Formats: sequence, C-alpha cells, structure tokens
Amino acid sequence: MLTVPTTCPFCACGCGFYLLANKGELVGVAPSETHPVSLGRLCARGWGAHEAALWGDRVCQPLVNRNGKLQSASWVEALDYVTGRIKDLIAAGKSIGVLGSPRASNEENFLAGKLARAGFQTNNVDFCFHSICRPLFAGLEDVCGEYAPSISLDDIEASQTILLIEGDLAQTHPRAAFSVMKAVERGAHLITTGYIRTQMARLSSLHLQATPGNKGEVINGLLAAVLHLGLKDRTSVAVDCEGYDALRGDIETVKITEEMRQAAEWIAHAKRATFLMAPTSGHGDQTRNDAAALATLAAITGHLDRPGSGLLPLLARSNVRGACDMGIAPDRLPGNQPLCDGRAQQRLQDLWGKKLPSTRGLEAEDILQSVSGLIVLADDPPSVLPMGQRAMAALGKIEFLVVLDAFVTPTVRIAHAVLPIASSAETEGTLTNMEGRVQRLRVATDPHGEARTGWQVLAELCARFDVNVSYASATDVLREIGQAAPRYARTEQRASDDGWGGRLVKDSDRGKFKLCATAVAALTSAERPHVLVRDGAFDWGRDPLVSFSPTLSRDSQSQRKLFPNGFVEICKQDADGLGVLVGRQVKLTSVHGDAVVPIRVRTDLAPGVLLVPYAFRDHVANVLGTDSVTAVKVEQA
Amino acid sequence: MVFAIQRPSMKKWLEKLLEGGEVIAPVRGPGGDVVFSTISSPAQVVWDFGNPLHPPKQFVLPQTDPLARIKRNGQRHEVEPIYDDARRILFNVRSCDVKGIAFLTRMHEMEPADASYLRRANRLTVISLACNTPCPPGFCVCTDSGPFLSDGYDIQLTDLGKNYLVEVGSEKGEAAVSEAADLFRKATEGELLQRKKLETAARNRFGQETCHFASAMRRISTGRVQDSLWDKMSDWCLECGGCNLVCPTCYCFSVKDLGRDGTWIRCRMWDSCQYAAFTLEASGHNPREHRKERMKRRFFHKVSAQYYTRDSMVGCVGCGRCIKVCLGTTDMPAVVAAIRKGKWHE
Repeated sequence: MLTVPTTCPFCACGCGFYLLANKGELVGVAPSETHPVSLGRLCARGWGAHEAALWGDRVCQPLVNRNGKLQSASWVEALDYVTGRIKDLIAAGKSIGVLGSPRASNEENFLAGKLARAGFQTNNVDFCFHSICRPLFAGLEDVCGEYAPSISLDDIEASQTILLIEGDLAQTHPRAAFSVMKAVERGAHLITTGYIRTQMARLSSLHLQATPGNKGEVINGLLAAVLHLGLKDRTSVAVDCEGYDALRGDIETVKITEEMRQAAEWIAHAKRATFLMAPTSGHGDQTRNDAAALATLAAITGHLDRPGSGLLPLLARSNVRGACDMGIAPDRLPGNQPLCDGRAQQRLQDLWGKKLPSTRGLEAEDILQSVSGLIVLADDPPSVLPMGQRAMAALGKIEFLVVLDAFVTPTVRIAHAVLPIASSAETEGTLTNMEGRVQRLRVATDPHGEARTGWQVLAELCARFDVNVSYASATDVLREIGQAAPRYARTEQRASDDGWGGRLVKDSDRGKFKLCATAVAALTSAERPHVLVRDGAFDWGRDPLVSFSPTLSRDSQSQRKLFPNGFVEICKQDADGLGVLVGRQVKLTSVHGDAVVPIRVRTDLAPGVLLVPYAFRDHVANVLGTDSVTAVKVEQA
Repeated sequence: MVFAIQRPSMKKWLEKLLEGGEVIAPVRGPGGDVVFSTISSPAQVVWDFGNPLHPPKQFVLPQTDPLARIKRNGQRHEVEPIYDDARRILFNVRSCDVKGIAFLTRMHEMEPADASYLRRANRLTVISLACNTPCPPGFCVCTDSGPFLSDGYDIQLTDLGKNYLVEVGSEKGEAAVSEAADLFRKATEGELLQRKKLETAARNRFGQETCHFASAMRRISTGRVQDSLWDKMSDWCLECGGCNLVCPTCYCFSVKDLGRDGTWIRCRMWDSCQYAAFTLEASGHNPREHRKERMKRRFFHKVSAQYYTRDSMVGCVGCGRCIKVCLGTTDMPAVVAAIRKGKWHE
C-alpha cells in the first residue's frame, strides 16, 4: 500500500491528506494530523477525494475529430493536428483563446498562460470561474489596491468577532466553517447576513437578514454604526484615507438599527476580527460595491492592518488564487500584476525571450463567443459559467476546440481534439489555497492509459509554437513561476521538501485605502414584487471530481433525476400567499422574459426571495438574462 | 501462555515474521504522521507513538473492497468471488483497535456470514502493544477496551523496559511465537506482577476525557432524549462522515461496480450514516432526511441498550479518533455527555 501525502483538489481551503494506492489503483484517503490546514480533519469531499480518479470516465488516449467523430490517435498525430490547425487559424488572422482552470495546478495554468501570450501572441486568457469571482476581487481592489489576504483559517478560529456575508459556508467551505464553529464555541461573536438562515446563521450571535433588495442598506448601516461609535483610536486610520469625507456624506442618512449598532460594537471593539465574503449574487455592480464596502468596514475598524485580523474572500474551487497568480486573466500577468505594468511586462519578455502582446484580451464568456480556436485546460465551461446553455452553444460554434482533461466532460465530447492529461492524483505540481499557501500535489498512481502530465503536454505545445521551454520536472516550471511572479520566488525550494512543504505567499505591504460605501438600489416594483436570486457560485454536482465519485455524486444526481426541469425555492409564507403548492409549477416573469418551473418550499428563506440553485440556473435563463438577481412576478402556472 | 522476549530480539522476531508474509505496523509516514503500513524492515517500526488516526480496520475492511468479478458470457453474466487470501500480521496495534477488529469480526460472522471479510480476518494475526501511557484523547477505560486487554488478541505485548512480556491468546498467536521459539522464554512471576502494576498505573493516568455510557444508555434507550437536543447538536456537525470512517467499529458501506476492460469489479466502499444520501431512496424519499435524524440514529446504534445486548459492548472502543477528526464538535464523549445531561453548550 502506498501512502502519498498530497493536497485536496476540491475547495480553496487547501486541506492535506494521504492518498492510499494499492497495486496501482487508488483505494482510499487517510487524514493527516500534521498537515497545517487540515490537522486531521477532512470534509466529506476530502474523504472521497480518491473516488473520481478511480471511478471516473477517463480520457485515456489522444482523440481527434475525423469525419465528425472523435477517434483515437497517437500523441504525435494529435499534437501535429492541434499545432497545424491553430497555426492555420493564426495565419488566417483568426483569434485564438486559452482557458485555464482552478482545477489545474499552478504549473499547468502558468504554461497555459505562456502558450497563449508567448505562443499565440494573445491575451485572450481567462478561466471560467473568474466571471463569478471577478466582481468580488474588483471590489476589494477598489479599496485596497492589490489585494491578497494575509490571514489564515487559524486566524478565524482565534477571532473575537466574525462577520460572514451570505453564502452557505458549511456547504461551500466546511474547513472554514469548522474554524468559525470553534471560534463560536470559544465565545466569539458571529454575525451573519443573508437571505437564508443557514447552519452558520443558526449558530450566530446575530443574524442580519439581508435580501438582495436591502443588502446595501445592511452593509452601509454597519459602516454608519461604526463611524457613529466615534472610536477615534480605531477609525483614525480611516481619516487620512481617500474617500473618507465622501463616505461620511454617503452614510449620513443611513438608518442604523439596534442590531447594526450591536454588530458594529462587536466588530470595532474586537482585538481580532475576520470578515468572510463569498462571491455573492447582485444586480449589476452590486457585488463589487458590496465587496468594496465590506473592505471599507474592515479598513475603518483597523482590521486590515492588524495581525490576525483581516478579510478572506471565500473561493469555491481549489486553485482560484493560483490561477489568478499565474496570470490567467486577460488583463493580468503572472504574479497578478496588471498587464499595463511596463516593468512586469518587460520582466516577462526577458524571461520568455519573446515580445508579448500588450492589448487587453477577452474575458472567458467573450472568449467563447468570439474566438475561432480555443484551448480549454481541465474545465467544462457550460457547467461553470453563469449562463451554461449559452456557453454550450458558443462552444459548439467554435471552429477548432482543443481540450486537455483527465475526465470525459460535456466539453470533451464536442471537442475537435482531446489531449488526455493526468488527474490531480497522478501529477506533480502545486496548488495555492485561499490563504496563499502553495502546497504540493504528488503522484499516487500512474496516469490512465496514454495520458501524460498536463505540464508536459503544455510544454510540448509551447515548444511547437517556438516558445522556449526546457523543464525536466514540474519543479522546474515552479522555479520559472518564481522568476515571473516575485511572490513565488524560491517557492520550489520549500515545496520540494519532504513532508507537506507548503509555503505561504505573503501579502505585499499595504498602501492607503480608498474608502467607499455601497450603492443601495431598489430592485422590486409593484409589478414585480419578488426577487429571483441565483443561489451559490458553483455547482459541484457537475464537476468531474464530484460527478464521477460514487459517494459524493448521490445527492446531486438524485436531485437532477427528480427535478429534470429544475426548481425554484420559496418561503412558506410566500407560497401560501400565492396559493402555490409544493411541487406545482409557477410562472416567473422578469424584464428579460419568463419561465415555468416547479416550486419547493423551504422554511429558512427570507420572504420576497425566490432561489434558483446554481445547478438549475439554466432552467430560468430566460428570466435571469445576464443578471444573477432580478425582480420577478410570480404566478400560479 | 505468557513469555518474555528481550528488547533487542524483537528485530530478529520481526525478521522471521517478515519471511512468512506481510507485516503491517505503525511507521512514520512521509508527511510526518504515524500510519499503519506494510513494512519491509524491522527498523521502520515505531515503538513510541500516538495511535495512528487512520484505523487498522482497513486491513480487514478496506475503504475500497473488491468483492466479485462480473464477466459477460454471451447473454449471461458470470460472477466469481474475489478473495484476499494474503497472510498478514498486524503488529504494534493498540488495545482499542484489537477490540474494534473483534467487534467487526463478530458482526460479520452473524448470519449471513460475510465470506469476503472472514477470509481476510481469519488470515490476520493481531499482535497488540498494551498502552503503558494512555493517549491524550483516548477513553478506552470507559469502554473496557484498554489500556490493557484481557482477551481478543492473538498476542499482547507489554513494554517492561529491557524486555517485552508476550501474552499469547490464540493459536495464531502461538504460531507467530513458534516462528522464532528460541527468542522467547517463559515469563517470570516478577514480570507478570510488573505487568499488573503497569496496567493499574495506566488506568490511574487517564486524563479528563471520560465518557459515561451507562446513564446515556438509559436515557437514549428509554426515549428520554428531547428532539430539540438533537436539533441543537446537529447544527454543530458539518456532516463530514469522519467519525464513521475512522471509527474502529463502524462498518456501513455502499456498493458500486468498477468497469475495467470489459469486466466489472463489484466493490464495497466505506460509507457514512451521517451523509444525507446514505439512506436516500430511488424515489427521492429519504427516511432520515434531516441531519438530526441521522445523528440520532448513529448514537442510538452506538449507545442504546438494544445494541449493547446484542454486541455485549457499546459501539465504541474509546480510541478518541472521532474527537480528532470531527469537523464540528459532535464527537462521542461530547454527545454522550449531552445525552446524559440533556444539555448542549449550556
């Protein structure tokens, strides 16, 4: 039996465990008491982390499209085919795009970016999940400039006050939820906001009910309440910051409830406080504004500067931070440095020995809509992007689609060429968790069939596009990452140690903050008095790591089978008011269009809100349009 | 039969045992944890260790356990059982885990007997190392499964300093000793007395972790646990299933066929009664839909008089692993205390 220490590939908490392999097959997972994040604990997904690689529908051979059918090919044949077709497209002046993935390692993402920028001379590089978390990152950057959190999950546990903005933490990040739970058990004040009384809300000292319609009021209310406390020592830092006077003006008329005053007191008086925010749903720029206001709240209470305090964006997928750090964005270079940063651009050109494109590329959704040639690394855009059906339709129209994946996904099925790569259990590499800890993936079993490790395949493609690559191992790629992204410098030395070998990428020094309140916009009207919200940020049920795991896929498979037309959830009070019965259908009408969907009643939902689970978002695509929140009229169908 | 063996001779005995088959022992794993692993040399074995978090039940009941091979033959399917006939020696296993394996074997012997499990278990020799010092989260003294054992082992070793006391409890144990009979001598009266003293001392050194099953059993078996208590407690569980998976006495499983080159391998896999989908039916109905119902079921199975009567012990060996892995605060001692007091976090 092989016992291989490695990093969990699911959420961005970045737990560690041992993969157990017997006779070349994965057979189980064993927890580790010495891993700095998990400390012996794993969530259900972690316990089932060996299953997808073992049971999954795997791509075992290179496949190329011949006469409309995917047929097996040799590696040379497939790589020649991919290279030839893409060179033809480039020669014809057509655009090419590359999609990286939070399911792929840093090394794979870095080389995907290098292939696009140095090989294809394009900044059309992004990852699909970026479209969900981009507004959150943008809001934090509005206030902090470059933002990389410098607090850890342990800091949550040691906090006196925790503010959790929306999201079902127990479902999305169980390890972070555990830290919150331990803090609460020790007597910390947990303040939750949101439209669902989630498990965390039930454990909270204070739950501020906030629907998408009044969320802005709640965050602004907290800002106002903090400033009204008049704690000079705490808020003095804020006075010198840009936007302070405007902020005071913005919140002057904000109504402060007794609950807000209490919450503000807990936040402002805490020696250590953490602010947790998941990418939330919001109309237009609401998410960005809310994130900025939350960062402002943390800044004016001094918690962005204090060790052990801070703001942690909750990232659903394992390597979101790594993908960002590897420059998988149309306007960023490795190290998350802006594309317009001349020095960063020059450093990269010197490193890669190539002139690089300087015009901003397209974001993931636009890449799908407009490129002729697309390379997708370990991802399935229709199951990740907010508008799944539209993404699928766009993928179908792409002239030449290449997918590198270990699993057979819907995207693999419609590709023109498929290059089989190793799963996370079969490759060397690193993942960066949401704390900024760079942790190793190790090889527990050989890749299936003829699959090769992702970094090798990408390096081979780079070479075919005259990009300088000479790597003997994934560690060599990590060394180059350190040269391209200063925060990753010498990471490979620690990460190649025996043991867990994680290394925390430290945040740079903070500059001054730019403060702001959030916008408060009325969503509903007399005509459309309810709000339909797309709930959650990611559908694990359609991620191959879950969908191919016999144990983990049961709930989502059962739900899809029982509700082939999806459902929306409504609170009991609203359901009674509308006279709709459980399981019956309702008609939802918004400015975008209408849809008829079955209804489910839940008891923990705020009145006036209808939820559509992320998994079923496409069933109400006509109603949501491009929004994640929209006002609707609800009628019996 | 009670023997003694000199400390330096342990190496020679292990070398002999290694000649006869697979020896599994706690070793220092690559990440720094102590894990049970197949050894190739006696030097790998650790002697002073906290009990590995991953229990040795994996060697009788693997997390992924192939049971049968299914082949298509024309219009029919042929099914042939897969047996694991390897001879294994589990070395330096702790008392609680010996009790755990005995519990699992008793359960799998019940009709209809589980041939796959029993083939593996019958070929396993369990050599335990009694705990002179209780491990920090352990409460085996409350479940009568440690720190020393009076039965259930093939061999029980006790560290007496210069020597080890070797208590033989079965024919398999006798066979393991006879592999290198010249290394052993009959234990002296003094050594037997020293073992007794060590046991008493160990019993007196238990920490704060205690688990009063008797009064909890009375309450849970007579329906005196309020529903609201389960409601409250279930909010402190994140449904990771870790408590089940590391529990030496848990054996719940699900079944799935693994397709490989035109054949299917029917596998039994560890499962957790705390997962919502564990009892989810094909119709979508779930008899234990809410977490509190699943939690209630788990502790009823572990602690109630109904199962105590059947199994002659509670479904817990006091190893304390659930305290370490719980991604929440609902480990065995915490819940037993809550049941007993009728209070949670008050």
